Amino acid sequence: MGFFLQLLFTGIGIGAVYALVALGFVLIFRATNVVNFAQGEFSMVAAFLMVVFAVDLGWPYWLAFLISIAGMALLGAVFNLLVYYPLRNRTYLPVLISTIGASIFLSNSVLALYGSQAQVLPGWLDTPGFQLGPVYLDSQYLIIIGVTLALVAFQYWLFERTLIGKKLQATSQDKEMATLLGVPVAAMIMITFVYSAVLGGIAGILVAPVLFVSIQMGSTIALKAFAATIIGGFGDVAGAILGGFAIGVIETFGAAYISVPFKDAFAFLALVIFLVVRPQGIFGERVAEKA
Amino acid sequence: MGGSAIGHIAYALVAAALVALAATVKTDGYIANILMQAATYAIAVFGLSIVLGLCGQINLAQAAFFALGAYCVGLGTADYRLPFWLCLAGGVALAVVAGAGLGLSTLRLGGHYLAMVTISFQQILTVVLTNAIAFTHGPDGVSSIGRPAAFASGQAYLALAVLALSITGYLVWRLADTRLGRAMRAVRDNELAASASGIDVFRTKVIAFALCAGLGGLGGGLFAGGFSYVSPDQFSFSDSIVLLTMALLGGVASPIGSTIGTGLLILIPEWLRFLKSVPGLYLAIYGAAVILIVVFMPDGIWGFIGRLFRTRKRSPLESAGPLALCPADSGAPIALEVRGLAKNFGGLMAVDGVDFQVRRGGLHGLIGPNGSGKTTTLNVVTGFYRPTAGAVLVDGVDVTALPAHKRTIAGLGRTFQNIRLFRSMTALENVVIGAERRGNSLVASRHDALRRRARAALDFVGLGDRAEETIPSFSYGHQRLIEIARALAANPTVLLLDEPAAGLNSSEKKVLHDLLDRIAAAGLTIVIIDHDMTLIAGVAKHLTVLNFGRRIADGETADVLTEPEVVAAYLGAS
Amino acid sequence: MALLAVTDLCVNYGEIEALRGLSLAIEEGAVVTLLGANGAGKSTTLRAISGLIAPRSGSILFDGKPIAGLSPRTIVKLGIAHVPEGRRVFPGLTVRENIMLGASNGNASSAAIRREADAMLDLFPGIRPFAHRLGWTLSGGQQQMAALARGLMAKPRLLLLDEPSLGLAPAIVQAVFKIIAEIHQRGVTVLLVEQNAHMALNVATWGYVLETGRLALGGDPETLWSDERIRDAYLGGARAKAAK
Repeated sequence: MGFFLQLLFTGIGIGAVYALVALGFVLIFRATNVVNFAQGEFSMVAAFLMVVFAVDLGWPYWLAFLISIAGMALLGAVFNLLVYYPLRNRTYLPVLISTIGASIFLSNSVLALYGSQAQVLPGWLDTPGFQLGPVYLDSQYLIIIGVTLALVAFQYWLFERTLIGKKLQATSQDKEMATLLGVPVAAMIMITFVYSAVLGGIAGILVAPVLFVSIQMGSTIALKAFAATIIGGFGDVAGAILGGFAIGVIETFGAAYISVPFKDAFAFLALVIFLVVRPQGIFGERVAEKA
Repeated sequence: MGGSAIGHIAYALVAAALVALAATVKTDGYIANILMQAATYAIAVFGLSIVLGLCGQINLAQAAFFALGAYCVGLGTADYRLPFWLCLAGGVALAVVAGAGLGLSTLRLGGHYLAMVTISFQQILTVVLTNAIAFTHGPDGVSSIGRPAAFASGQAYLALAVLALSITGYLVWRLADTRLGRAMRAVRDNELAASASGIDVFRTKVIAFALCAGLGGLGGGLFAGGFSYVSPDQFSFSDSIVLLTMALLGGVASPIGSTIGTGLLILIPEWLRFLKSVPGLYLAIYGAAVILIVVFMPDGIWGFIGRLFRTRKRSPLESAGPLALCPADSGAPIALEVRGLAKNFGGLMAVDGVDFQVRRGGLHGLIGPNGSGKTTTLNVVTGFYRPTAGAVLVDGVDVTALPAHKRTIAGLGRTFQNIRLFRSMTALENVVIGAERRGNSLVASRHDALRRRARAALDFVGLGDRAEETIPSFSYGHQRLIEIARALAANPTVLLLDEPAAGLNSSEKKVLHDLLDRIAAAGLTIVIIDHDMTLIAGVAKHLTVLNFGRRIADGETADVLTEPEVVAAYLGAS
Repeated sequence: MALLAVTDLCVNYGEIEALRGLSLAIEEGAVVTLLGANGAGKSTTLRAISGLIAPRSGSILFDGKPIAGLSPRTIVKLGIAHVPEGRRVFPGLTVRENIMLGASNGNASSAAIRREADAMLDLFPGIRPFAHRLGWTLSGGQQQMAALARGLMAKPRLLLLDEPSLGLAPAIVQAVFKIIAEIHQRGVTVLLVEQNAHMALNVATWGYVLETGRLALGGDPETLWSDERIRDAYLGGARAKAAK
């Protein structure tokens, strides 16, 4: 039983990271109909920024965090202007390929600038964790879960309680109607990209002390976040979050009870199964209406 | 691109020359390796030019199919000592099965899903190759891979690779002009129109996907024999992206483009070898290049060149005599019957129990104010929506359970309100696709017979002498006529026209009116939806009027138009 | 000077000529209705006025100022609100939130907008009980009311209404037109595109009939209604010939 709870804790912890990345991904998709294959790179870049500021330059953790997040906001804005905006009126395929190109560009730029050595980022707290009954609560995981819950609460507040959140939602639901009412749609899309980049960045900085900071960390996290959005229901915000937690738990239990080396395959297996059996995910609408 | 005799001969000569060069010219090992890599990668890229270039579907796992072929040859020859050719065939077969399986599972869903499933497959395969060490040797890879005895030397094997490249290149080149190739291009250009023309869209996509996978497997198998060593890190997701970029750079629609793209992206890094000294720099530029290509050069280098030098048009086909139209006639007086048709969209009853019968021969109008359910009815009748209730009978045969493309085969033809033509093709090719629907007894399936019938159909609508021009060069009114010609070439029993007069000026409407009269004179039954009452009253002898999804009038045109309920439906109650 | 003056407007969708030289004028305080068969160009006219589509040639003057080709955001700030065909209530937002977004052309605070929205709901008692319900759960008539309320939040001088009766049962249509009359009484100028000529001419102070992208008829409602040619515009000249 203790083992089960420990796995659950770990699964929820890592699932929280997937949930954050999935959330950023879904927000971009809802606003622009773009599947952003570079979402994971936002996490990876932020983690490297933290390494540069907090480890290499030795700045205080909180300062490095703020600067890294500011850097991610800037990256999100530039991404919007260079990758999405020129292709905003084309079909999904060129945009999808373009985001793949951006993903390769980002991961390899970091490689070129920083080198291929995996880096270590210390955790936020000095205490490594504490024991609660049969379960050992790693402090970084507690921070991950805590920050994720705070961000989910912020997401809820933003979308449900502020006018700008309503404008963001309106832009996702009917761009033309939003324009007719005077909503600045281009600005809303910019905000969406910036916010999603920041979300991805925070996820990367949160999970970095648990994994190594490496060039590949972004794509692995992103692909699992995609799996999460499919399982939760493609395009659904709550679905993305719950899907992220689900993938984290599935993967952790799969690794423990079935096989560790194949851990990474479980998320994708779950994805394929869902796509075949229930493509609309747990919360999604009917996918295809055609006869 | 045309397939003239000269073109074939030229291809054969060039290919033979290349193979001969590969077999005889001595090069140092390094260059031979590069050429080998280019040849085998190009075969895989040809696969992408089929699935993405011809059929418009994404495949982000081509490196995985490449890996299947490579590992089949690798493990088969090194561990199990099986003959090379058997392993190669096995690798291709395995790749085809995997491709078909992936396609069957997700091609019914949209493009994003396919992208994700292919990525997932790629990831799963990489994990399996790396971790199933007992079977795959894991990260150590497989070495001492065998070659066929006849091609054991490096030189000979290179010649083999070039030969394989030439043959597959030829097949891919010719594919575009086959019935399957045309079906793929139709699916890429406009899926709904492809269905309406009798093409099984799903099956076509799965075949394209399976062919792509098969070519990936072939390339991989040859690659393994060429380099004698394979390991999992050669077949990762980024390699799938590299293959995709090669396809995009050269021009995804043709094998020449694929070859150019592959060649450039293998040679450029060699010329710019210094870029590889900084790890990551080369691929970073790669990634930026992908974005730039997609934004500025979506047709790739070859597509760009192709636009500069418009390829020589085929020699125009001469006029082919009158269009034969022989609508099926079981003898029953009713050509199309709709019984109790209902369609519910999540609570909204768009069509609510509609019945009407269309007598054989002549024109029947289906009219009603905006939102009355006319287009929904048409879409249910032609199989693009599944009905909530009711039945559709064509010439007495119940077609309600048939998907759209099978209804076309059963004798229903249709045009669309917003014109759906295959814009990358010529007028003639568009109409040929209509003519080659299964079961068209009026035409043999030989290509020249199809072209003659298509030309006859275009003559019938008055555009015969412009048959070899591509769609964008036609005016809106003329595009409408081509769409009608495409439907007629399939020899339909009942032709359904959805707002054919929309967007036409008055002289174009006159031409349409004449055309409709001539079609009716040939014995076809026509059902027409439109808002232009002058046109409708001029051509249609019978009308069915819908309002709020229900039938409110049905009968002879003159009577129906004066019925108070009909007037009230259009103008509001008096 | 007319509040809105359209002169020789030509609008294309790609190659199709949707409007071929349309001219009309709308006086301040009027309810002008644009009638005509489907495809005549009525919706296109509204889309050109609100900025969703840029005309190929011709002019649109609002209060004497040229607005043709300006962006929809600019035009709604100038005082023209467009309630498009199909209502287009945001399905995932509540009725109150939809209405609040109608004030997006201004700079008021969120609290002030909320107060205005509540005041607006008082004018639409039919939907006030549904203020917290999500857009997609509403019936067609309720959505139309919500869309009208949302349009009014922009405090427009000119309100463009595109086919408000589309898909609505006759009883609901009556309710909607009653609201349109009330809107008129509050001093808002209305340009109403309608298929239902009878209801439209009942509420209008002036009417135009479009046919294939051009003006065919114009006049006061009574004259228009009794003109045989209006029936021809919808039901074709053949109808008139057949009846004789």
